[in-house]
Amino acid sequence: MRTEEKFPLVEMKDIRKEFGKVRALNHVDFRVGQKEVVGLLGDNGAGKSTLIKILVGLYPPDQGEIFFEGRKVRFSSPQEARAVGIETVYQDLALVPLMSISRNFFLGREPTRKIGPFRFLQKKSMDKDCHEILVEIGIGVRSPSENVEFLSGGERQAISIGRAMYFGAKLLVLDEPTAALSIKETNKVLDYVLQAREKGLSVIYITHNIYHVFPIADRFTALDRGVKVGDFNKTDTTPEKIIEIICKTRV
Amino acid sequence: MNSREQSSPFSLFFKRCLEYREIGGIIGLIIISAIFALLSKEFLTITTFAAILTVTAELGVIAVGSAFLIISGEFDLSVGSIFAVGAMALALLLNAGIYPILSVLISLALTISMGYMNGIITLRTGIPSFITTLGMMMFWRGVLLAITGGFTISYKGDSFFINLFSERFWGDFTTSALWLIGITIIFEIVLSGTRYGNWVYATGGSSGVARALGVNVNRVKMIGFMISGFLSGLGGCINLSRFRLVDPTLGMGMELEAITAAVIGGTLLTGGYGSIVGAFIGAFLVGLVRTGLILAGAPAYWYRAFIGIILVIAAVINIRMKKKVSG
Repeated sequence: MRTEEKFPLVEMKDIRKEFGKVRALNHVDFRVGQKEVVGLLGDNGAGKSTLIKILVGLYPPDQGEIFFEGRKVRFSSPQEARAVGIETVYQDLALVPLMSISRNFFLGREPTRKIGPFRFLQKKSMDKDCHEILVEIGIGVRSPSENVEFLSGGERQAISIGRAMYFGAKLLVLDEPTAALSIKETNKVLDYVLQAREKGLSVIYITHNIYHVFPIADRFTALDRGVKVGDFNKTDTTPEKIIEIICKTRV
Repeated sequence: MNSREQSSPFSLFFKRCLEYREIGGIIGLIIISAIFALLSKEFLTITTFAAILTVTAELGVIAVGSAFLIISGEFDLSVGSIFAVGAMALALLLNAGIYPILSVLISLALTISMGYMNGIITLRTGIPSFITTLGMMMFWRGVLLAITGGFTISYKGDSFFINLFSERFWGDFTTSALWLIGITIIFEIVLSGTRYGNWVYATGGSSGVARALGVNVNRVKMIGFMISGFLSGLGGCINLSRFRLVDPTLGMGMELEAITAAVIGGTLLTGGYGSIVGAFIGAFLVGLVRTGLILAGAPAYWYRAFIGIILVIAAVINIRMKKKVSG
């Protein structure tokens, strides 16, 4: 337990990645502490998504090292990252619309009982556990057997985040979670992020809208065209200052 | 959302009914049965019911496989050819004096590997399965015609084991109906009750999401292609047992009938939604129309026209229902 506190949860050192002649990331350092919400900021094409995809094992880095809880790691697939507790919620790849909430919730990790060659879904416990989570995240009016198709964008994000918390993630990566949401729904998603931190998770929140993430994040990292342009603690900055820095380097 | 709270018990019941994917097929079944019952006195009898089940068996077994594969997001247009190859291989093996059980296993293994081939070509090259299996449909049909020279092959033996596929019992019923019902139940349970079934829905509904959540999408589809091959081969065994002969043109147009049955039963061609029981109902409806027209004394040519209209109407009902449910 002691050792865990000594190390940051994630430490990426000197990451470099090129796609052909395009330098997507150039000597980037990135750190996420224990129980910390980090806003990863930058304009389109700044390298935010590339950095995260390297972290979760979708791309290998050309250079650099990644440490998770102080141990050096290199994931070759998102499954490996998930096994150690890194859950990613993608903007548009979170849920299957034509399937029920509980089937979506457990997709890829269904609780089953093996009879002969078949693995039967334990539907009752799936529905029960799923319902408990829905109540906990405040959308308990929904029945677990309802299709995801009928849910709002905010409810879908809530379920994805709830799923990540349920499966005991240590790090939650949210890729533009509020890009397609109304103001009300955005505020709810931000609430879920705070709930997740209270439960002891760390969160990486990727966005190009600083005003979404500023109220909830502890720290900000800004990228611009593959280069880190700043690390900011919330206590000694304002959203305007960060925007100014990102814009200044552009000129 | 508000309408839900205000709705009366009747409309609630109505809404619950609409949630069943098979509703279009069931409504069609009731209407068409009523029409035929008016046209012919013999229609509403056990004998007719048994006869419909018998003529439905081969198509139904194949339609179960087609529905399964369509739900996972792929097509198999080669089922009619595989069906014929399965029956032909079984006839040739039996005539060569090979043990019946072994003959059946070999021909099923053959049709499963034909399904595997469809899968490998589709998944490795990335071309649509519609094209792969269209090509394979023509290829296997051509091979069949070339090997037989266009002649019919008949099976002269009378093996107990082969009879099991289509033996009469309880007067008018045949065991082929039992095979169909058994296959429908097994695959419905697999689709709605197992982890693999959950992955089939996810793969067809959104392969990107399924992959992101750790489902091996290609493996799911590959098993689907093999199931389609297996059930086509099983249909071939039933057919040989029933008729004792194989025509090399057997099963032409069957792929479209199988897809018709699946669609009538509520399966969406775009994948991710559908039902195996629905495919059974759809196939039963096709068999019912075939039998009903004969009983009503209509020329057999009307059969296709009828099926065409039912297909379109059932598809319209299904899409309307789906929209209603989604509010």
